Amino acid sequence: MRLAPATGALFAIVAALLTVQPARAQYTLGGMRIDGEIEAGVRGFLTDEPTPKELAKFNEYRDVRAGPFLEHLQLRFFNKDESYVSDIYGTKWGYQDQEYSLSTGRVGLWQFQFDWNQIPHTLFTNGRTVLHEGGRGIWILPGISGLSDFNGQATSHLVNETVRWDTGRLFFKLTPSPGLDLTAEYTRTRREGNKPFSMSFGTGSGTNFLELLQPVDSTVHDFRLGATIAQDTWQLQFGYILSVYDADQDRVRFDNPCFQAPVGGSATFGCVAGESRGAANPIPARGQSALAPDNMAHIFNLSGGINLPLRTRVTGNFSYGLTFQNQQFLPMTINTIGNINTNPNIQLPQNSLNGNVQTILGNLQVTSRPFALPLTLMGKYRIYDYEDRSDVIRFRARVLDDRPLGTAAAPLPDFTVTTAHRESFTRQDANLDGRYQIAQPVATTLGFGWERWTRGPDREVLVTDEYFAKAALDVTPADWISARLTYVPSFKRDATPYNRGIISGTTPTTQLFDARKFDEAERNRQRIDLMVQMTPVEGVSINPSAGWRHDDYIHSAFGLNWETAWSAGMDVGWNPTKRLTLSLGYVHEVVNRDLRSRGASPNLSSNINADWLSNMADVYDTFYGGIKVAVIPGKLDWNTNFNYAMSFGTIETRNPSATLPGATLAATALAARMPAFDDQFVRLDTGLKYYISKSWAATLFYAYESFSQEDWRTANWLPWNPILATTNGFVWLGNDLKPYHAHILGATLTYRFK
Amino acid sequence: MSGKSAGFAVLLTIAALLGGMLLLPSSPTPAQTPAQPPMQTPSQPLAPTPELAAAGYVGAETCKTCHPDQHDMFASTKMGRLFLKHPRNAREALGCENCHGPGKEHVEKGGGKGVGGLITFAKNDKTPVDKRNEVCLTCHTKGARLFWKGSAHEARDVACTNCHRVMSDQSPKAQLAKFNEIETCGTCHLQKKAAAIGRSSHMPLREGKMTCTSCHNPHGTTTPALLREIGENETCYRCHAEKRGPFLWIHSPVPESCSNCHDPHGSNHEQMLKVAKPRLCQQCHVLGPHGAFPDGRGIVTALRFEMGRACVNCHANIHGSNHPAGKFFTR
Repeated sequence: MRLAPATGALFAIVAALLTVQPARAQYTLGGMRIDGEIEAGVRGFLTDEPTPKELAKFNEYRDVRAGPFLEHLQLRFFNKDESYVSDIYGTKWGYQDQEYSLSTGRVGLWQFQFDWNQIPHTLFTNGRTVLHEGGRGIWILPGISGLSDFNGQATSHLVNETVRWDTGRLFFKLTPSPGLDLTAEYTRTRREGNKPFSMSFGTGSGTNFLELLQPVDSTVHDFRLGATIAQDTWQLQFGYILSVYDADQDRVRFDNPCFQAPVGGSATFGCVAGESRGAANPIPARGQSALAPDNMAHIFNLSGGINLPLRTRVTGNFSYGLTFQNQQFLPMTINTIGNINTNPNIQLPQNSLNGNVQTILGNLQVTSRPFALPLTLMGKYRIYDYEDRSDVIRFRARVLDDRPLGTAAAPLPDFTVTTAHRESFTRQDANLDGRYQIAQPVATTLGFGWERWTRGPDREVLVTDEYFAKAALDVTPADWISARLTYVPSFKRDATPYNRGIISGTTPTTQLFDARKFDEAERNRQRIDLMVQMTPVEGVSINPSAGWRHDDYIHSAFGLNWETAWSAGMDVGWNPTKRLTLSLGYVHEVVNRDLRSRGASPNLSSNINADWLSNMADVYDTFYGGIKVAVIPGKLDWNTNFNYAMSFGTIETRNPSATLPGATLAATALAARMPAFDDQFVRLDTGLKYYISKSWAATLFYAYESFSQEDWRTANWLPWNPILATTNGFVWLGNDLKPYHAHILGATLTYRFK
Repeated sequence: MSGKSAGFAVLLTIAALLGGMLLLPSSPTPAQTPAQPPMQTPSQPLAPTPELAAAGYVGAETCKTCHPDQHDMFASTKMGRLFLKHPRNAREALGCENCHGPGKEHVEKGGGKGVGGLITFAKNDKTPVDKRNEVCLTCHTKGARLFWKGSAHEARDVACTNCHRVMSDQSPKAQLAKFNEIETCGTCHLQKKAAAIGRSSHMPLREGKMTCTSCHNPHGTTTPALLREIGENETCYRCHAEKRGPFLWIHSPVPESCSNCHDPHGSNHEQMLKVAKPRLCQQCHVLGPHGAFPDGRGIVTALRFEMGRACVNCHANIHGSNHPAGKFFTR
């Protein structure tokens, strides 16, 4: 395999060092001393490497391949009195997930740092399509015989669904005096690749869609300035952040596969009449969608803290943010059928949003131990205001999914006036706590809190208030055990009526009157947490913890009704001798949710026999542990770590009524159990490290990793699925995460010169 | 007074307080360091001057005679190099005693655990946690520690030395108590550790590309959950800036909180969603006609609402759309 030139150069430098001078504690170079460590090696797969289809999960955020690799490199350059120090760090050089770091400075006075970090993100590796990318984000359909061409190995091709994040960071810090820090930081993150994206074209909602790719070619620039003044009794901090999102493309364009179907539709081709061309169907030849627009944010921040008499400390923070977005709008449609584009009603009232969001954050906190009693009082207030000052734009007509209404001869837009409202909100939090040390081993905390959300008129509830109580008990009955039990009940209530929902038997409605969106709904919450830490004997630590939370959406007849989450776990560490360390842990978590909804055909019904209930449950089990043994102290070490994680998710659905109303409504309301979601991940690492000398060590390692997932929504799902009926125009990429097993064997050599 | 007006009144109060802070008297610093000797900028650790000796300081070289291993271990750390080789002021020049306290009584009584009133920073140290932490905060008041007092960890008596090892380098950065942040934070936050190492849909923590402190500041912040930025969403936007908008068409829960739909610590569902689609969306949307299907297998063609990417098969721009025809996020 090819190594990057940087890696080769690095090996050359180290090799030169080794050949020029014998192995010893440090080296000198131009008056500077050098110490450090380098570990490099080679690895391979005992059985076959994961196949390209299996790599999606195996190399999701990394690049593990057979061949030589750099585990890590650390070089430290310093002068005789170590007042000037430079560090070079690197790992995985030459691979997609390589990292570099250079840091230099005068200890305690100034520091400069440069970091480079590459993060590959592999989403899938088995998506396929027949379209080709004509230009970036522009997908062109060749001539096809039918939608089944999307499944053919000969007629379709694999697509690249990876994005790589390259982050470069420059950081400078100056400490002119111990009480003053000045910092400047610039981070540039460049992302390149593709990720799945879909577009619909059909004449009915959700018909005739195509899953393809959107380009991810963008840069985020993050620039920060800061100054901190710290004196013994007060501190002030100033900060400024500029964040810019800059995308290379603002749109993506897909050709519509059903546009090639015979006029009037065709079962052989795979598109129904309603999704194909015809006198009555002005379906689009292609569609165009907008990607996330460029934007820019400025944030100014002032923070401070001061110690006051009576052992009181006050801290405060004020931030002001401005976000702008003014990307040019795309036209209402790319469709050029008939005179649609000259219809004055779909001309855009303005060319861009003139997006402007102002955020204000204020925070004040007082902590005091004013009395001779062991009593700590704390008060906090926080307000976060998000105000969207962008233009409110009113569109006289619209073209839905690039398909105008009317006919091919006389296409019409949809004359529904739509207004793009702006949504602002304010969140306020206040807390008062008192902690009292009742006796040496026991302390109790009592508190009260409040949270208010104030929203704009386009949300269902204008004001919600949530009230918290808090009780906590800290117990340390002996030196070797401490425990904390916390109980926090809270009650969220709508301070203004829930103002959405009408039901009509004749027209489609937006929402059932009794439906509640959980973020605005009234809720009773109970929460209990327990944490214990024990060190019963020297070298043994046992840390059990548990938690339980129940949310009851008390007036949500429809929507999320309740949610319960609980977990229990234990972490044990044992260090019986200096030569042996053992650790073991297990965590079990369960999350359960219940929701209620109602079938519709085509309109929402007032018939409760169309109701359905669904319970979603997710169970997680995680085991982990490790062992470190100094087999021969100072000469041979053995380390082993393992993780095992599994999760199991179910969606149970049922109709509470035994009688479903009417055949059509029954079809939309009929509930059934969905297949479960299931995944498992295992990782075992074991290695022997032999210290050849003070400077040299050799490691032999073995790693086993396996992953499997069952997700019925994607398992073996073809790009075009005749099972859905031969007359549908739904085309996917056919993405599916494949299981893998990997046995990795390798060896490294470490050279240490310190 | 409306809620918003009351809030701004509080903001003005904050501004006044910050401005007035410098005029108020302050409480004395903890009596940890002695009266400062005449100012000098030492370039190496000081041998005890008469003033320091009178205050009970013996100097780092004296400590080294009985604790050579600890001294050498400390000397190889960044803080050790500063204190023992390049102190910038008289306080830093105290070396070991800068943190542990004057050692004269400990030496005169022949040494030993618990002898002489030194602060050991061990788990069984009798010194109250807030007193131990004051030692560290004497110097480390800037930057990330500004909001330590009153923070969740401080309020629960978490000592600095619960998470950090000053005397030796256990971790590549930040002198953590364990090899990396997941292990250090996971000592108490077992569930979050399990999520970081086990959930199938996750951010790259177990691959070493992100750490807990990529999003959190464990030393205290003004944002709930100890998030680094001014708000929860701003924390996410630092990397996922394309979601910041503002968009022409807004999906209401998005600008309010990313965690309405996502679990940033990991999930067994795609894109770290809390609930599998379409149920995630059906928690809020009880819509006719197609959103209300409980199970698409009742009508074969309705499987498009569940298979593949479910609702997002069509509503692809679900975080918001800037397209004039994007009211339903299909463009």
